[in-house]
Amino acid sequence: MSILYFIPAQWLPLIESGFYALIFPGFVTILLLAFFIIWFERKAAARVQMRYGPLWVSRKTGGLIQLLADMIRFSFQEFIVPEGVDFLPFIFLPGFLLAFAVLPTIFIPIGPDYARIFPSSYTLLLASAFTLVIPIYLIVVGWAADNKFSFIGALREGYLLISYEVPYLLVIASAFLLYRTLDLVKIVNIQAASVPGIILNPVAAIVYLLVVIRSTGRVPYDIVEADSELIFGPYTEYSSLMFGFVMGVPYIELYGYSLLFATLFLGGWIPLTGAGFVGGLIIPGIVTFVKAVLVMCLLVFLRAVYPRYKLDKAIKTGWTWVLYLAFVSLLISAFVSYLI
Amino acid sequence: MSNITTAPFTYESLSQLTMKEGVLELQVGPAHAGSGHMRILVWVEGDTVVKVDPDIGFVHRGVEKLSEDRLYVKAIPIVERPNLVDTVNANLGYIIALEKLLGLEAPPRAQYIRVITAEISRIISHLYGIAIYGIFMGSSTVFMWALADREPFIDIMEELTGARLTYSHIIPGGVRWDLPKDFGERLEVALKYLEGRVSDYEKIWMNNPVVRARAEGVGILSGAKATELGVVGPNLRASGVKCDVRKCAPYSVYSDFDFDVPTFKEGDSYARLLIRVEEIKQSISILRQALKNIPEGKIIYEDYYKRMTPLMKSIYDEKGRVKFTSLLTSLSPPKGQSFSRVEGGRGEIFFYLISDGTKNPYRFRVVTPSFRNLPYFTHVMPGHKLADVPVIYGSIDYFPPEADRR
Repeated sequence: MSILYFIPAQWLPLIESGFYALIFPGFVTILLLAFFIIWFERKAAARVQMRYGPLWVSRKTGGLIQLLADMIRFSFQEFIVPEGVDFLPFIFLPGFLLAFAVLPTIFIPIGPDYARIFPSSYTLLLASAFTLVIPIYLIVVGWAADNKFSFIGALREGYLLISYEVPYLLVIASAFLLYRTLDLVKIVNIQAASVPGIILNPVAAIVYLLVVIRSTGRVPYDIVEADSELIFGPYTEYSSLMFGFVMGVPYIELYGYSLLFATLFLGGWIPLTGAGFVGGLIIPGIVTFVKAVLVMCLLVFLRAVYPRYKLDKAIKTGWTWVLYLAFVSLLISAFVSYLI
Repeated sequence: MSNITTAPFTYESLSQLTMKEGVLELQVGPAHAGSGHMRILVWVEGDTVVKVDPDIGFVHRGVEKLSEDRLYVKAIPIVERPNLVDTVNANLGYIIALEKLLGLEAPPRAQYIRVITAEISRIISHLYGIAIYGIFMGSSTVFMWALADREPFIDIMEELTGARLTYSHIIPGGVRWDLPKDFGERLEVALKYLEGRVSDYEKIWMNNPVVRARAEGVGILSGAKATELGVVGPNLRASGVKCDVRKCAPYSVYSDFDFDVPTFKEGDSYARLLIRVEEIKQSISILRQALKNIPEGKIIYEDYYKRMTPLMKSIYDEKGRVKFTSLLTSLSPPKGQSFSRVEGGRGEIFFYLISDGTKNPYRFRVVTPSFRNLPYFTHVMPGHKLADVPVIYGSIDYFPPEADRR
């Protein structure tokens, strides 16, 4: 309070929204979380696989800053731009990918006081729309890189995108049908009044998670980047720090999806609530954040259990079972919405 | 025979195929996560593979010619090199051919020790195959598990021979070291551990729905066609052909053992995975029988023992170590030729030796199982999806250095 005393009152909303976008749950948190989640993925897989995982970089924390060491190593490598690539898309698209992976988090409220920072009643629509921009850039990257494996990776991304986007939009529609609003703050309030969305419509939650695994390329849906088939899919030609960026993008994407999942199905900041910037946003925000991180941990752990799925079967599953389940979730939503 | 395309590889046929609209040529390897030490030229039309051409020879070193320059005993380490995870069987095959030339036979205890090490080597080889299959299908867990589960057996072999992979343990007329005192107990512990692990593999790998979805019905080769193409080993048996050199042309003391030759009639990638697990179970049974029935006695041919100096004999009696006499190091078999067939981890290994009476082999020939399993690339992969290429490649347990006779 004492610091805020010296700041002109009209600047406060700006500072608050800036804090929201840049510090928590925005950019800085995302970068720190990327460190944690990549470390967790490696460490959890290592535990299953009877080995240590990251260990020697910062022994006390169990290799938590391994990613930093990796990034330093990447930054000293030569950045190779092969002949024949479309130069501008090749150079700039990883940046766009990163930006569009971060953007959805801005539209997802992490506390009840969010409407003061970003007054909009269409946050669900905005957040889900921005999560769907990334695949388009991925396809462009695959074409721009002038590599056959990149090209095939981009084609795979295109096929899978279409087959899993329809169920995704149906799930968003069923969430709309369930809560009868597109405002995520109101959605959480409805869940606070009844029960979390995962109990109201478990089928929608399952389809949502399936689509998230697909969109972020987690195992068993790492079909686009399949290393034994396509080396690294659309990103094959990237080297040095650019490789580090594109490797991190799926994890950041995963964070956006997980935040949305926590808000839609896990009741967001329930049981905490409050008002003001700290009491109504930061402290409840930690609850939302922890829920999202738990979802992320669950999804990255799948790597230790499953091998890679096959493209044609994944497309078939997307157009059959996942789609059927999405329609079922619509029906459940209509029914439950009638009850509550 | 008529339905198999056996047209030779020509540059013209390649270029015609490349010119065809909509066909993409992919060079998988030699620096690719899914190729190994080779290049696989894959032509895809859409997502369907229309032609595959394995381009081998990247790690060819010429084991045959290298061996022809050396003394018979000094060729042993070279013979082992092509297949680093299954060295004992290669060593055994070479020695059997050499012993046929020399006209001698190793004493029974040495034969039993040979069988024990050969079966341990087969287990190591099969585990390695499962590991590579795992990483080709994108499961790092099975890769790490199977590689780590080789470790107890490698440790046992290290205690016996002093080396982890290239043992050079089998010599003309016997073996170099007798079994250590607690060998039986240590091996039993390792076998119990492996039996427990096999059930873990069944849970996470063989019964994994994703594995079944990807491997079942993929890369089918019928028994008749497999025989026609001349593939060998577990891959042949996975196609339903009951052919195992240990049974059909027994060598060493394999006729003393009671074991099954598991076969599967499906002939797909999944059967080729299961057959390796079944063979591991059979190897465990053979090892238990060998430990139970191993006779006492010498581990080296009687005549060679007699020619040892008193110091060598005292070392042999105390430590069970065979020192190389001058006769052993400079063998010169009589003029003639001989061959041997042994069942290695990946299939039948064939050795052929011609002696002209000098101290070096006149001609030495080895046919390795991986080379004979190459038709899987050219005849089985076309018609499948691109994602099936690593699945079939992993399932046949193909090892490029072995095929190239590195």
